[in-house]
Amino acid sequence: MFRLFLLRFLRWGVGLILILFLTYGMMFFGAGDPIRNMFIDSNEVDYRDPAVMDALRAKYGLDKPFHEQFANYISNLVRGDWGRSIRLEVDRPVWDIVKFRINVSMQLGIAATIIAAAVGVPLGVFAAIYHNRWADRLIVSSVMFLTAIPVFVTAPMLLYLLVLVLDVMDVPYGWQGIFSSNVILPVAVISIGPLPIIVRQTRSALLEVMGQQYIRTARAKGLHERTIVLRHMMRPAMTPVVTTLGLLMVTLINGALFVELVFNIPGFGLLTIESIRLVDYPIIMAVTVIGTMIIFVSNFLVDLMYPILDPRLRSK
Amino acid sequence: MTVANLQATSAQIVDSDLKHRSLFQDAMARFSRNYLAIFGLIIITIFCVLALIGPMIAPYDFLKQDLLHALKGPSAEHLLGTDELGRDIFSRLIYGARTAALVAFSTTFLSLIVGVLVGTTAGFRGGASDQLLMWVSDLVQAIPSLLLVILINTAVRRPIINWFDDLYEQSRNPFFLNTTWLDYVLVFSALALIGWPGMARLIRGQILSIGQDDYVLAARALGASDRHIMIHHMIPNALGPLVVAVTSTLGTAVVLEASLSFLGIGIQPPNASWGTMLNDSLKLWQSFPHLMISPAVTIGIIQVAFVFLGDGLNDAFDPRRNR
Repeated sequence: MFRLFLLRFLRWGVGLILILFLTYGMMFFGAGDPIRNMFIDSNEVDYRDPAVMDALRAKYGLDKPFHEQFANYISNLVRGDWGRSIRLEVDRPVWDIVKFRINVSMQLGIAATIIAAAVGVPLGVFAAIYHNRWADRLIVSSVMFLTAIPVFVTAPMLLYLLVLVLDVMDVPYGWQGIFSSNVILPVAVISIGPLPIIVRQTRSALLEVMGQQYIRTARAKGLHERTIVLRHMMRPAMTPVVTTLGLLMVTLINGALFVELVFNIPGFGLLTIESIRLVDYPIIMAVTVIGTMIIFVSNFLVDLMYPILDPRLRSK
Repeated sequence: MTVANLQATSAQIVDSDLKHRSLFQDAMARFSRNYLAIFGLIIITIFCVLALIGPMIAPYDFLKQDLLHALKGPSAEHLLGTDELGRDIFSRLIYGARTAALVAFSTTFLSLIVGVLVGTTAGFRGGASDQLLMWVSDLVQAIPSLLLVILINTAVRRPIINWFDDLYEQSRNPFFLNTTWLDYVLVFSALALIGWPGMARLIRGQILSIGQDDYVLAARALGASDRHIMIHHMIPNALGPLVVAVTSTLGTAVVLEASLSFLGIGIQPPNASWGTMLNDSLKLWQSFPHLMISPAVTIGIIQVAFVFLGDGLNDAFDPRRNR
């Protein structure tokens, strides 16, 4: 078992370095020199001076050949130095920026997961109780309908509906902390994403439990139907649902890109787009490392949790 | 009794006593009972037809600007109004359907080819080549897909355009001046790059599992030849999940193309794309909501149709799921 884990981590390590190499290569040979872009975009006289530009290049180590730059980056990264931002927030340590952005995205993700669970679990329970009747079909297909529509369509449509037609709010824009009313709409939109997974998990977990002998026993004892559902069915059925919730929270950090863009929330997704637009190497690399790690870790957790998620595997 | 004899008799029995129903006929029978899926199929058919014969239906040229009638709401002349340059929104939507359909079909085709090649190699050869190919597809799937597509699109466009400029300088061939089709090629390739691992995994899984199934064993016990088993048992059974996967890839490609164009790195103006229209409308939506509603509703309807169709096909080919 231990050797299996070790082998797996080794494969991931090699894979991650390969991914970083390709990313750096694409930026270096394709997207170009951030200092030159700075010169093109800037009106300040300073930046038009070739000597200043060369000095800037030297400062960020951009004057070196590709292999040296990449080797430097990796050796710094291993020592925990993520470098400094070149253009987005000039000279600020990348880790500071990333930490702040992830924090924002995580708060949004947690809030969205809580809301999705609060809506999704009861819906799943109802769907299971009314299995294969119209309520079940309505719940399953309407949740499917909701998630089918991409976020960058839902968000503007909701804005239109709430701001222009119903006139119940101002346009939420920017980030003022998780407890400001600005986050209501973004969180609602993000929470639509994981909703069908939660509903489906709850529904199938409950259906699995419903056929068990002890449920029949509970009915035979004459227990109230509500007690049966809440105490005898829900408790064993909730384990896979809670596990799914934990995983969803992790993946939401990667997933909220469009919501952050539309509502201008400085989260991790927006950082990705901004850094690529400005060709800010250190941030692009950091975003790639963290985004890929998140997926690695959640895949790993899924594998670990598989017996819990799929009861058929537990018995074997 | 020889094997050939037995085969002949069993074929006779099947032919005479029972009306033969193939896997596909069964699946189609289940599919046609699912109204939501039929609805999805109809919407997607309309979308494909519009994409094909769009120029014949579109009332205006999608590039024709009419600044005197810019930002007009829906009217008899302009069914869905005009945008900030006075271009007819309905015509642009139809041309956007062409873009979306072109991207969807090319992307799916490309990822299917790569997926079949990689999947069959991994599945049939096994061993080290299987391990290596699956490791690569794992890695591709581990990079957040939008990040990967954005990176590729930003990194590859500029060098290629520079290269084309050089080629034009040298050859004076006007072919190298027009780079608008490059957007399409870039978007296809980037999307196919993130699409193939899923296909490859599916095909590999099918190859590994279907040979072990009981009906293959049964057919073999009845003395069927390898060729017969392949054509009549293995391929039809493998095809179902593949049809489902292709449908969902088509839908994903449409939405990814729209997302890329929404971010301003997919199909560049003046080419029409729903994503670009939606993104352009975000600057003006408070005063001119009609700019936003038409592309948003269009993308929404197409996506819902794809999801219902995919779900219907899934149920039709795998009736045990979700029961």
